[in-house]
This record gives sequence, structure tokens and C-alpha cells, in this order.
Amino acid sequence: MSQQPYKQPPITEAVIEIRFAAPIDAPRLAEISSDLRAQYPYEQQVTDLRVQLYFVPQATPTAGTIERPGHRLSSLDQTQILLLWPENFIVSQLAPYPGWDEFFERFRRDWSKWKRLIGYQTISRIGVRYINRIDIPFSGPLVEYEQYINVYPHLPEVFTNVRGYGVQAQVQLADMDCILTLNSLSVPSPLLGHAAFIVDLDIANEVKPPQNDESLYELLNRIRLKKNEIFESCITPRARELFKPWQD
Amino acid sequence: MAGLVLGSPIGGNTMNWRMGAELQPAFSTETKRIVEWVDRLRRPSPASLRSQASGRPLEARVFDALAAAKTLTARVAMHLDRETRDKLFSQLDSLHETEQWEAGDEPVNPSSFETFLKAILTISPARRPGLGLSHTGDLVAAWTTGRDRLTIEFLPNDRVRWVLARYQDDGEPDRFAGQVEVSRLVQGLAPHRPEHWFSNESSQQSPR
Repeated sequence: MSQQPYKQPPITEAVIEIRFAAPIDAPRLAEISSDLRAQYPYEQQVTDLRVQLYFVPQATPTAGTIERPGHRLSSLDQTQILLLWPENFIVSQLAPYPGWDEFFERFRRDWSKWKRLIGYQTISRIGVRYINRIDIPFSGPLVEYEQYINVYPHLPEVFTNVRGYGVQAQVQLADMDCILTLNSLSVPSPLLGHAAFIVDLDIANEVKPPQNDESLYELLNRIRLKKNEIFESCITPRARELFKPWQD
Repeated sequence: MAGLVLGSPIGGNTMNWRMGAELQPAFSTETKRIVEWVDRLRRPSPASLRSQASGRPLEARVFDALAAAKTLTARVAMHLDRETRDKLFSQLDSLHETEQWEAGDEPVNPSSFETFLKAILTISPARRPGLGLSHTGDLVAAWTTGRDRLTIEFLPNDRVRWVLARYQDDGEPDRFAGQVEVSRLVQGLAPHRPEHWFSNESSQQSPR
């Protein structure tokens, strides 16, 4: 068992995504969505609509649309989400985060069902994304986010009036053939008297993603450990105090 | 140490990295490609997908409103204990049993619910309020201690309206009302000693 280290983990959303090399047809997607209703009582049909406009000199502009139908399944309390697109299988968990063991177990349950119904599909990408929001209380006009977060923009001293920021880094994780996309940004806080900062970690393997379940699960567990290590390096001891570590 | 200067809103829309349509012709193909690339990196999360509520039957609108309220709660769930969250969801579900509704009644307005969450997380009342819905879908919370009553209506866009009645020794109630931004609710109620309603001692005086 892996213990979630904090009583109040700042995770607002955890996501595991499997992307396929070829799309699954709409009727089969609808069939599996229907089969998963026992686990997810709510189902909504969603559409990804893309509009493309073509402008050619001396010709009438033309428009084309691409519609991608999908299914969004969710639990009664709306914290457990399963998103089925023709090319993606996505398991998502909103706060309160129940810990990796429970989240991963749900992924395995739904993935097994998917495999039973759909069969083998070539996987083109495996990704794990954790969006963390750090709510920092303030009493004065300035929030010293540098006391809580280690990833923020490095600005010349002439800039003294920072009202918001967003930085992004892509880092190769060579030991696991993965790319980390790290977003750190300020956002409006849903709490009064707080400023909020996002640390969004997306780790994905799209170079040579494993194709069998055993290797897939192993990779996901390795990504999870790496994600924890990276997150801890992105925050300071003062931030950890906000999340109330269990040993306190 | 630089720090973030607090304005209103914090970080507003500063994270929109898309180019304005009017600026498109000014940039090279390469620049546009880079902007598209950056934009692709900022994929929306699965929870952000929503269906459209307008013009749909009541049942669908109720579903969407409840789902939106529960998703909004998830945004702050790390600051709520499990029991409080479960009780809140049970109250919300109960409020949305539409058999007793009248024509024109609306499900909870997500903006009102957002105001409610901000207020409740700031006040942290030991006693949970009874909840109701206004005709237009604004959430209303009420605390009663004996005959004394405090009612707060949570309006969209961070506004709150409150009314209280407190009975005096002569048997007549003093009534007060106010409407403020949610960030000033605590100061607005302070002169009226709101712990009379919010604390557990008050419930022992008069169980509801």
C-alpha cells in the first residue's frame, strides 16, 4: 500500500490517459460506454467540434467541420470521471484525491473492461497528469510565492509589479522514455484571502509506449513515483505545511 | 524576493496565450506555428468538459446544475472534511427533487453556489445550516437558535444578502439586513455576534 503523504493533498485533478494509434468507431464506443454504466451512473455525450476555414485567393472561402463524438461518464459525486474518445481512454479523479492505490485500481478495473470489449489496440501514448493547486493565505498586498514554490519566472529586477504569471518547461526523462510538461502559473483562488498557484505535471511516453498490460502498469507506477519526486522538488517546506503532512 | 502583487482579479486572464484574431496577419507562419504548439501543450483537463444547459428540459438542467455544483465543491474539497461534503451533497440532492417544484423554479445557479462555498469556507460554522433555493436558483442558508434566525442568500458574482432577527427581553425582535460582497460578510455580521448561530454552544441552547 502506498500512503498519501498529506491530509490535505493539493491535487485538484489526477488523470491517466491512453491514446490509440487508430480511432475506435462510434458504435463500439457507445457500446462500451453503456457497459460501464454500472460503475458510472451518469453519462453525457460530448462532442469535440473542430471548424476549419479555407481561404483561397480569388475564390469563395469554404468551411469544413470535424466532429468527434465521445462519452463522459461520472460518479454520483462527480469526482470520478471516465472519458471515452475514439482515440483516447481517460480516467480522471477530482478532489478529494483518494490516493494512488485507489485511483490506479479504478484505472485497472476500467481498462480491463475496455480491453475485454474492444480488444487490442496499438497504443501511441501513455500519459499521467496531476494538477495541483496551492492555496496560499495572505494578509498583506503581496504574496511571496517564492516561499512556497520553486518553479516561477525569473524576471529582471525592474519588474516589481507582477500580477500574474505562467511558465512552462518540457523536460526529457530519459530513464523512462518520457517527456515531462510542467506548467506553473498563478490563477484566481476559489478561497477568500488566498492566492492560488498551479503546479501541473504531465508525464507521457509517446516514443515507445508499452503495448501489454504488465508493462503498461509497471510504467504507470514508475511515472507515479517520478511524479511525486518532481512535485516535491517543485515545492518548499512551507508549502508542505499547508497540506498537513500525516506525521504532524 | 519579488512576490505577486494582489489585484483584482489575481492572475485574471493573463494565461491566455492565444493570439488575437486581429493580430494574426502581423505574424509569420513560423510564429503562428509556435503559438499553436504552445496552445496544444495547454490541453483542457477532462473535468473541464461541459454540456450546454440552455434550452434543455428541466431534468437535464437539474443534472447539469448539480454536476456543476459538485464539481465546484471538488475544487475546494481538500479544505472540507468528508462528513461536511457528504452532508452538503445530500442537501443539494434533496433540494433538487423536482416533484415539489413549481413552474419556473430553477436549479442552483453555479455562480451563487461558488459564492456559498467561499462564504462557508471562510466562516467555517460549527453548525451546518439548513439550505434552500430561491425561485431563481440562488442558494439560501439559514441558522436558527431558539426564535432567533439568521438567513443568508448567496447571490451570483460574490454578493451576499443577509437578514437576521434576534428577540429581545421584551419579546420583540430586532431585525437587521445587509448586502455586501462575500469578502466582507464576516465584517458585516460581526456587530451582531454571529457565533450565536454558528457555534455548537448555540445548538445546545436550542436544538433544531
